[in-house]
Amino acid sequence: MAQPLVKKDDDRDDEADYSPFLGIEKGAVLQEARVFNDPQLDPRRCSQVITKLLYLLNQGETFTKVEATEVFFAVTKLFQSKDIGLRRMVYVMIKELSPSADEVIIVTSSLMKDMTSKTDMYRANAIRVLCRITDGTLLTQIERYLKQAIVDKNPVVASAALVSGIHLLQTNPEIVKRWSNEVQEAVQSRAALVQFHALALLHQIRQNDRLAVNKLVSSLTKGSVRSPLAQCLLIRYTSQVIRESANNNQAGDRPFYDFLEGCLRHKAEMVIFEAARAITELNGVTSRELTPAITVLQLFLSSSKPVLRFAAVRTLNKVAMTHPMAVTNCNIDMESLITDQNRSIATLAITTLLKTGNESSVDRLMKQITNFMSDIADEFKIVVVEAIRSLCLKFPLKHRSLMNFLSNILREEGGFEYKKAIVDSIVILIRDIPEAKESGLLHLCEFIEDCEFTYLSTQILHFLGIEGPKTSDPSKYIRYIYNRVHLENATVRAGAVSTLAKFGAMVDTLKPRVFVLLRRCLFDNDDEVRDRATLYLNTLGGDGAVVETGEDVKEFLFGSLDIPLVNLENSLKNYEPSEEAFDINSVPKEVKTQPLAEKKAPGKKPTGLGAPPAGPPSTVDAYEKLLSSIPEFANFGKLFKSSAPVELTEAETEYAVNVVKHIFDGHVVFQYNCTNTIPEQLLENVTVIVDASEAEEFAEVASKPLRSLPYDSPGQTFVAFEKPEGVPAIGKFSNMLRFIVKEVDPSTGEAEDDGVEDEYQLEELEVVAADYMLKVGVSNFRNAWETMDADCERVDEYGLGPRESLAEAVNAVINLLGMQPCEGTEVVPNNSRSHTCLLSGVYIGNVKVLVRLQFGLDGPKDVAMKLAVRSEDEAVSDAIHEIVASG
Amino acid sequence: MILAVLFANSEGNILVERFNGVPAEERLHWRSFLVKLGADNLKGVKNEELLVASHKSVYIVYTVLGDVSVYVVGKDEYDELALAEVIFVITSAVKDVCGKLPTERLFLDKYGRICLTLDAIIWKGYLENTDKDRIRRLVRLKPPTEF
Repeated sequence: MAQPLVKKDDDRDDEADYSPFLGIEKGAVLQEARVFNDPQLDPRRCSQVITKLLYLLNQGETFTKVEATEVFFAVTKLFQSKDIGLRRMVYVMIKELSPSADEVIIVTSSLMKDMTSKTDMYRANAIRVLCRITDGTLLTQIERYLKQAIVDKNPVVASAALVSGIHLLQTNPEIVKRWSNEVQEAVQSRAALVQFHALALLHQIRQNDRLAVNKLVSSLTKGSVRSPLAQCLLIRYTSQVIRESANNNQAGDRPFYDFLEGCLRHKAEMVIFEAARAITELNGVTSRELTPAITVLQLFLSSSKPVLRFAAVRTLNKVAMTHPMAVTNCNIDMESLITDQNRSIATLAITTLLKTGNESSVDRLMKQITNFMSDIADEFKIVVVEAIRSLCLKFPLKHRSLMNFLSNILREEGGFEYKKAIVDSIVILIRDIPEAKESGLLHLCEFIEDCEFTYLSTQILHFLGIEGPKTSDPSKYIRYIYNRVHLENATVRAGAVSTLAKFGAMVDTLKPRVFVLLRRCLFDNDDEVRDRATLYLNTLGGDGAVVETGEDVKEFLFGSLDIPLVNLENSLKNYEPSEEAFDINSVPKEVKTQPLAEKKAPGKKPTGLGAPPAGPPSTVDAYEKLLSSIPEFANFGKLFKSSAPVELTEAETEYAVNVVKHIFDGHVVFQYNCTNTIPEQLLENVTVIVDASEAEEFAEVASKPLRSLPYDSPGQTFVAFEKPEGVPAIGKFSNMLRFIVKEVDPSTGEAEDDGVEDEYQLEELEVVAADYMLKVGVSNFRNAWETMDADCERVDEYGLGPRESLAEAVNAVINLLGMQPCEGTEVVPNNSRSHTCLLSGVYIGNVKVLVRLQFGLDGPKDVAMKLAVRSEDEAVSDAIHEIVASG
Repeated sequence: MILAVLFANSEGNILVERFNGVPAEERLHWRSFLVKLGADNLKGVKNEELLVASHKSVYIVYTVLGDVSVYVVGKDEYDELALAEVIFVITSAVKDVCGKLPTERLFLDKYGRICLTLDAIIWKGYLENTDKDRIRRLVRLKPPTEF
């Protein structure tokens, strides 16, 4: 921070007479407050003391309970004074002190007297204070006065009562709801602010009554609303009504659209923005509806006021996420904002441009961003890095310039979070764009040569150990890795030793040289580094000769620990030192699924190094390990695909169950992840009874029950089916959870001996064609398409019938096939009447498939589609057509 | 909800800080964040020119008024535009109390009245009054003129 955060008075000896609060001390001011008890009150003096007390409180000073009580009692004495200025101070002071319930009683009568006073301003202030310190019982006593106050002809009194109502609605809703007639009357008030407060309160009272809100909006949109603030509220409530109204899909006659559009011409900027935002957020907004809103927002982009520019670019940034094409018209204005002095505006402009730009504008954009990056804070840089990552995944052909940009900013100054964001991005690009791998790895290598963050160095070394040996020339990475052994701390040195060992294991020609390096590590001064070196020298075997490394050694080096770390940790904690050694085989292998709340968290972000299991390949690895450890499934062969978990129960039911479909060549295994959410129950012998009568080609071959399912400790049960080999059989399965339930004594946590058998109906589950397709992208679709044999191409045309929109039809086909959209073609520009979508994937039997879909609107809603498939096997091309024909 | 109103002098020392619905342990963080924001951006800015920033889902509008800087922080319905309205009310009312652009000394001299003014403008996180003439009368416990 640039300036020290000291209190105003702690410095400045040289300007002794500068501040009226110089040398102020809480203790002294509390002493001074005794003046409140004088029989002859001096209002001026008392006001000064209250000001000092407020000064202390406004600087974050706190009073102890005893101090606050003392001051509060003293302040109540001031009600005796008739001085108006002092009375105003007293009101503020009581609110600031927020006395406790047993103290409030002292001032209640004084305040109630003021509340019924003939002086309007006493009334308004007394209402504000009473409502701040009151509880439910007192509120019923003063309710009558509050209701009167709401319709008081003095707008200050009415506003005080209404705003109090907004606060009290949180604590005493049933009382405030009784005031709706008065509030309704206040909505018609001629005083602008009374109308604003009344509208806010009335909406809060009636927010769950859809009809009432609809009526409120209908009447107010016809009449005139006096203040811009109230008009903004009305626009918000109107969008809520539009959202909830049923017939909002038909373009053209959307209710209240004309009102919103009319607000775009309001004289207050605040109203114009609110209306523009409301329009851009309409469900399924058409470009005809969107255009006027975008036009006004575009005008604000060049406003002289930063707040308006920020508001405009923030709104357009949001629009760009859903309707990138609609925002492209603003790109020129947006580009000039890259140099905006306000960094929030510049960052929003850049991230918007990155979303709306096309492939040809990438290079120009990157040039502009480079100049901008050096003078913004890390938090903005992270946003830009994330936007660049998405852009690179959208236009993989541009990986060279984008990767260069990332590596350049990696060399510049920056904090941990920022560097981690860049490294994560590079790792994700290496994973998803094969062409970017070698250059990406070299950038990472250069980074660890001068990296101050141990965490990042070790993570990169680990990643290098996995990816480096698979490159065309693994030897070039060795220097960077071995440098770490000389130059870094023990943690990084240990990581480097492990990485070296991985190179030795995977690249036989490098093995002798790696041995030499590892032997040098035997003399390291850290025992972990020495231990690792010794371990790897012994495990790799061959004494440094060029020999092939055994599979078991590779498994040891590269395989993951096939037991969950949490389970291992628990077992180790429970292990009591004895003659019997700890047996790793005693650790349970069942994976605990995530807690429910976490699992449902929206907005999954792609993760880089930080959380390796999140990526699809590693999840499959974990599942493969789990399944192969179960003897019944051990001979099913290689796991082709595991689906994302499908929920079979509603949220917040007694038992939460989801299922993962594991597809093998000749088998399908359903993994039911179960959670028992009732603390008083223990479930035992949990199985799922599957009825496969609507899945003719499937025959149940094995079932693995879950022995015990205690509260909040997830477990799995499995059911396996045989199906014809290599055939993408589909079917529907109904599921019933069956178990023995035992009561648990909550005080001891012990379960009763006897249990009762019970069943619980789960939702149905389907195996669909998309389950037999792996989402695997290609970086250059055209090249991939051209190199695939044209003889295996199958083309046909389909009528998809009437559809909600072209985009909806495109999405439906993508989901039906379960393939990876390429080059951002899954996004359908607004208003287009035709669209081409490119998909790629790997079909069961490891057959590469490419699909080119051409959509066209035939008449107002009917969608026609031309499907061209190329694959390595013509039978698969036919199968894709069959999926579409029967879907 | 208007989460915070903060006044600081040109050196970043706090003159007034009022929080609504911000847990005590987060206040220090907000205080340093705002003061740093001002130190980074307010140099050379004209009086009452509004600057804007956002931090997570929270918006900040801030400006310079004479020798003091003013920050308002809001979320939900109090976005940058509503906050611009709030800060406009605050700056005009403070100018009104001080009779001109405040120096630090003038601000502190009028401290009590400024507290009353803020109390009339913001009621526990909600904007209550917007008209500076009315606010001036409210502070003196006089009824508004226009009804």
